[in-house]
Amino acid sequence: MFEQLLSMVFSADFLASVVRITAPILFAALGAVIAEKAGVTNIGLEGTMMITALFGILTGYWTQSWIIGVICAMLVGMLLGLMMGFFALKLKTDIILAGIAVNMLGGGGTIFLLYMFTGMRGNTGALVSPNILIPTIHIPGIESIPVLGDILSGHSVLTYVAFLLVWAIWVLLYKTSLGLNIRAVGENANAASSVGVSVLKIKYIAIALSGALAGLGGAFMSMYYSQGWNSGMVAGRGFIALAAQAMGRGEPVGAMLSSLLFGLAQALRTKVSGLQGVSSYLVSLIPYVVTVIGLVLYAMSTMRKVKKHRAASGSED
Amino acid sequence: MKDKRLFVFEIVRGAAAILLALGVATVFIFLCSDEPLTALRYLLIGPLVSARGGFNTSGFYTILAAMIPTIFTGLATCVMFSANQFNLGGEGCVMLGGFVGALCGIYIQMNTGLHAVVCVAIATLICGVVMLIPALLKVKLGASEMVTSLMLNYIVMYVVLHFLNYNFADRSKGSTQTFPFAETARIPALVPGGSKLTWGFVVALIFVVIVALFMYRTRWGYSIRMIGINQSFAKYSGMQVGKTIVLSQVIGGLLSGMGGSIEVLGRFNTFLWKELPGYGWSGITIAILAKNNPVFVPVAAFFIAYLNKGCQLMATYCDVPSEMIDIIQAAIFLFFAAEQFLSGYRQKIVVRNAQADLRKLGDVTTAEGGQA
Amino acid sequence: MEQNEYVVEMRGITKVYPNGIAANQSVNFFVRRGEIHALMGENGAGKSTLMKMLFGLEQPTEGEITVNGEKVALTSPTVAISKGIGMVHQHFMLVPSLTVAENIVLGMPPKKGLFIDYKKAVEITEEFAEKYNLHVEPDAKVMDIPVGMKQKVEILKALVRGAKILILDEPTAVLTTQETGELFKELIHLKEQGYTIIFISHKLKEIKQITDRLTIMRAGKSMGVYNTADISEQEISRLMVGRDVVLSVEKDKATPTDVVLKVRDIEYTNEWNKKMLDKISFSVRRGEILGIAGVEGNGQRELVDILFSLGTPDAGSAEVLGKSILCTPQEDIRAMGVSLVPEDRMVFGIAGDGSIEENVISDRFAKKEFNKGPLFDMRAIHAESDKLIEEYNVLCKSSKQQVKMLSGGNIQKVVVAREFSSDPTLIIADQPTRGIDVGATEFIRKKLVELSRDGAAVLLVSADLNEVMELSDSLIVLYGGKIAAYFDDTSELDDEVMGEYMLGIKHQSAEEIGRVCHEG
Repeated sequence: MFEQLLSMVFSADFLASVVRITAPILFAALGAVIAEKAGVTNIGLEGTMMITALFGILTGYWTQSWIIGVICAMLVGMLLGLMMGFFALKLKTDIILAGIAVNMLGGGGTIFLLYMFTGMRGNTGALVSPNILIPTIHIPGIESIPVLGDILSGHSVLTYVAFLLVWAIWVLLYKTSLGLNIRAVGENANAASSVGVSVLKIKYIAIALSGALAGLGGAFMSMYYSQGWNSGMVAGRGFIALAAQAMGRGEPVGAMLSSLLFGLAQALRTKVSGLQGVSSYLVSLIPYVVTVIGLVLYAMSTMRKVKKHRAASGSED
Repeated sequence: MKDKRLFVFEIVRGAAAILLALGVATVFIFLCSDEPLTALRYLLIGPLVSARGGFNTSGFYTILAAMIPTIFTGLATCVMFSANQFNLGGEGCVMLGGFVGALCGIYIQMNTGLHAVVCVAIATLICGVVMLIPALLKVKLGASEMVTSLMLNYIVMYVVLHFLNYNFADRSKGSTQTFPFAETARIPALVPGGSKLTWGFVVALIFVVIVALFMYRTRWGYSIRMIGINQSFAKYSGMQVGKTIVLSQVIGGLLSGMGGSIEVLGRFNTFLWKELPGYGWSGITIAILAKNNPVFVPVAAFFIAYLNKGCQLMATYCDVPSEMIDIIQAAIFLFFAAEQFLSGYRQKIVVRNAQADLRKLGDVTTAEGGQA
Repeated sequence: MEQNEYVVEMRGITKVYPNGIAANQSVNFFVRRGEIHALMGENGAGKSTLMKMLFGLEQPTEGEITVNGEKVALTSPTVAISKGIGMVHQHFMLVPSLTVAENIVLGMPPKKGLFIDYKKAVEITEEFAEKYNLHVEPDAKVMDIPVGMKQKVEILKALVRGAKILILDEPTAVLTTQETGELFKELIHLKEQGYTIIFISHKLKEIKQITDRLTIMRAGKSMGVYNTADISEQEISRLMVGRDVVLSVEKDKATPTDVVLKVRDIEYTNEWNKKMLDKISFSVRRGEILGIAGVEGNGQRELVDILFSLGTPDAGSAEVLGKSILCTPQEDIRAMGVSLVPEDRMVFGIAGDGSIEENVISDRFAKKEFNKGPLFDMRAIHAESDKLIEEYNVLCKSSKQQVKMLSGGNIQKVVVAREFSSDPTLIIADQPTRGIDVGATEFIRKKLVELSRDGAAVLLVSADLNEVMELSDSLIVLYGGKIAAYFDDTSELDDEVMGEYMLGIKHQSAEEIGRVCHEG
C-alpha cells in the first residue's frame, strides 16, 4: 500500500493536482499577507471568497465572458474589503468582528443572493457553460518536456496568475513606495504618519487589495475548480489562508510554501480516499495539525528572541 | 452599572442597529420577492402569530428549542470575550460535545435520568480539555488563540468524521450516522409534540444564572473581567493572569461542549452531523448582542432564534430564501459592534454629563497641573 | 537686522489643553541662526509642549511663530518640515524591519518608473551621511542597529527632508557616554555647516559642553535666556529647579524604628545596554518617609519596577522584613504587605471600564472576608467600597460608576484608596500626585504622612521637588542611576543644594551615602 502511495505521489498527474488545489488558497493567503502587513487582520477572507465566487460566475454568465467574471469578482472583493475597512477604521468595529460579519454574508447571504438573482437554490449548475469557465493554457515549450510538462502545463490562466502574484506581491511590498508605506504603517503607524504617510488611506488600500486577491481566489473556485458555484465550496479555505499567512511568517513566499503544503495534503486526501485502510479524514486534518505545529514553532522562536533580548527575564505571561 | 443616560443611549443605539439591519433586510425582501409585504409579515410577526391571528404556541416552543445550543455557545463566547480572548473554537467544541455525548448514549448503559447527565458531563469535560490547547499555546508561547482555535475546529471536525465513518457508523443506514442512542440517554421533552423543546432549555437557563453569578459574583469571574479590561492592571493587582486566561477558554470549551451534547441528545436519536453545525458562530453574534453579559444572552438568543424562524417561514410560505437570516445577522453584528456608530451623540451626552458634574461639584477647583 | 538674527521667534506663546491644563504661559523663545540652543527645564516644565507647537504637532492657544522672518501657521508636521524644521523624537519614529535607507526615504522615496529606486535611496543616505559625518549602514535593518545609529538615522531623516532647524528631544537620554560624545561631535559639525539646533535637555554638563545659549523653563513659563558661557551651573540649577509655591504639610518628627525594606546593590542595564541602576543600596524604616528625588529618567522608574517585580535586576537583592521580593508574583509581594501607587495610573492603576467598586477591591477580592464559599459576599464588598469612597473622599455618583468617567484626581484617589487601605507595611508611592488637582494632592499627601506615623514604611518617588522635600523625613537623590546624596533630615534642606545634586554638579562621599542603609 505504501508503495502504491509513493508511486502516486510522484506521478505527474498528482503533482499537477497539487498545483491546482493550491491556487485558490494561495490567492487568499496573499490577501492575508497584504492586509496583515498593513496591520489589519482580515478574517473575512472566507466569506469574501464565497461572495466573489458567486459574483464571478454570475457576471460571467450574464456577459458570457470569463474575463469580465473574474474582474467583477475582484471588484466585489475589493468592495467587501472597503466595507470591512469602513466599519473597522471609521466606525471602530473590531476588525475581527467585521470579518466574522463578512463570513456570515458569505455563508447564507450568498445563497440568498443567488436566489434573488437567478431563482436558483444552493448551486449554479445550469448556468455553467464551457465558454464562461477560465480557460487552460498549454505552454508550448514546457508542455513537451516529459514529466515537468504534465505538471506545469495545462493549468488555468488564473493558476499561473496565482503563482506569478507571489512574485508580484513581493515586488509590490518590497520594491514600490506603496509597499514601503504598507509595511511602515503596519509596523509603526506613528513613524509613517510622522513623515506624512496617511495611515488610514494605506490601510484602506491594503484591505481592498486583500479583498481583490480573495476575489481572484473566489473566481478560481467557481469558474474553474468547481465549475459552478455551490454553497459549501470554499470549505474553510479562507481560514486556511489566514493560517498559511501566519505560518509563512507574513511573507509572500512563505505563504506560498504553506499554501503548497495545504494543497499537497488536500491532493493526498483525494487520492488516498480511494485506498483501502487509509482514512481520508485523518489525511484531511494533516494541514491543520501542521499549521498548529508551525505556529507553535514560530511562537517559540520569537519567544527565544525576546528572551535573549531581555537578557534575563523572569516575568511570565 | 453605568450612567443612566449613557445606559439609555446604549439601548437606543442597539435598537437603531437592529432597525437599520431590518431596514437592510426589507430592501432585500422588496428586491427579491413578488409579495414583499406578506414576506415581511412572516418575518416580523410570523413566528409567534398563527395564520388565524392567534398566538402560535408551537412556533413559540420551536423558537425556545432553537435557543438551547446557542444559549450555551453565547455564554461560552461571553466568558472568553470578557477575558479578551478571541477564541473561535466554540464551533468545534459543539460538534465534539455532540459526538462524545452521542457515543456515551450508545455505548454506556445506565438508568434513565442519570444516563443523560453522565453523557453530557463526559462530553463537557472532554471539550474543556480540548480548549486547553489554544489556551496554553496562548499563555505559554503567545500563539494567537484565534488562528489556533480556527484550526482546532477543523481538526476536531475531521477527527469526529473519521471516528464516525470508520468506527461507529451504522452501516445499515443510507447516510453516515451512528447507531441510535439508548432511550435512557435522551434528554426528555419539556412539552409534548414535535417542538424538540427539551429539559435542555431549563438547563440552559440554569446555566445562564450560573455563568452570570460566576462572572459577576465570584473571584474567578471578576479576575476574568478585569483581565479583559486591563491586563497590566490585573497583573499589578496580584491576579494570576496566565491561569485565568486558560480558565476562561476552558470554561468556553466546557459550555460549548455541554451545548453540543444537549442539542444532539435532545433533538436527534443518532449522531448525524457531517460538518460544523454553526452554533459557535451564532454564539458570537449573541455574545456581541448581549455585550458579553450572560444575563442578556437568553434575550439575544431569543431574538436570533425568532429572526431565524421568521426567515424560515418566509422561505416556506413566500419566495424569500431562509438564508436572509445571515444578511440580517451580519448587518446587526456590524452596527452593534461598531464603537463609533452614533458616537457623536454619545460624545454629546458625555460632555453634557461632565458639565453637569462640574456645576454640581462647583466648589471643587479643577486646576489640574499636568504633564507637558 | 534683527529679522536675520533670529531663525525662530516664538512670541507670547500660551497653550491651554482642552482639559484646562495651561502647559505654556506667554513664553518667548528666540533662536539665533546657526547656534546650538538648549531648552532646559524639569519634566512638566512645558518644554515638550513648546517644541510640539514648533513642529506642528500642537497649535498654540495664543501667540505667534516666525520662522526665517516669515510669520507661519504650523498646522502639521508636514508644514513644519516644509519650513525647514525637523524633529528627532525621544522615542524614535522608525520602522524596525525596514532598512536604514528605506526609513530615511519613507514617504518620499526616489522612484524609477513604478518602483522605488533603492540604489538611489542608498546613495542619498550615503551622500548625506558623508556630508554631515553621520555614519550609518544604509542596508542594515533598523532593528539590528545600535541606539546611537538609530538616532543618526533620525537626524538624517530630518536633514534629507531639508531641515535647517533641528529639534532634538532629550537626545542623550538613551545614549551611552561614548555615543553621546559622538553625537556632540556630529552636532558641532552640523552647526559649522550653518544648521540651527535646539537641544532639549536637563543635563548640565552636556549643555555646558556644546550649547551657545540656553532658555530655561519652569512651570510653563520662561525663566529667561542666557549665554551658556555667562551662566554658572549653580545659577542654572537655581533657575531650573525650585519651588514656586511652598506648600507645607503638617507633620511631627518621624521616629523610625526597624528596617522594613532593605535594598542592596541593585544593578540594572536596559535593553539598549544602558546602565540604569548602578549598585543602589538603601533601607526604609518603619515610621519614616524616605523620598527619592531626582530628575526623571535617572533610574527611578526602573527601581520601582524592580521593587514590584515588574522588572528583573541584573544583580542585587531587595527584601521586605527579611524576605526577598525580587522576581516574586505580585500576589505574594502584596501578601507581604507591600503596596504600590504606580506612576502610570491609567496603565497599571485602574481598569477604566470597571466600576469604582471593582477597582478598589482588585488586591483583596480573593480574601475570606469578601467571599462566602464560592461566591462574593456582595454586602461586604459594597461596605468596603462605600467605606473607601467615603474615607478617601472620591467624588462620584455611586460606587457603580465607571472609573474612566472620573476626573484625574478622583481616579488617583481610587488608586490610593486601594493601596493605602490594605494595612501596608511598605508603601511605594511613585509620583503619587502628578497631574491631579490641588485638593486631591493635598489629601493624598496628608494620608501618606498619616500612614507613616501609624507605622508604615513609605518610599516616595517624586520628580516634584516641593513634594519630595516637604513630605520626606529623609531623602536620597538619584543621578545617573546612582545615589548622589542622602539627607537624613530634610527640614534644613535648601532648594539650591538639592538642585546641584539632582543635576550632577555635586556628589556626596560613599560614607555619607552609606548611612541610608542604617546598618551598624
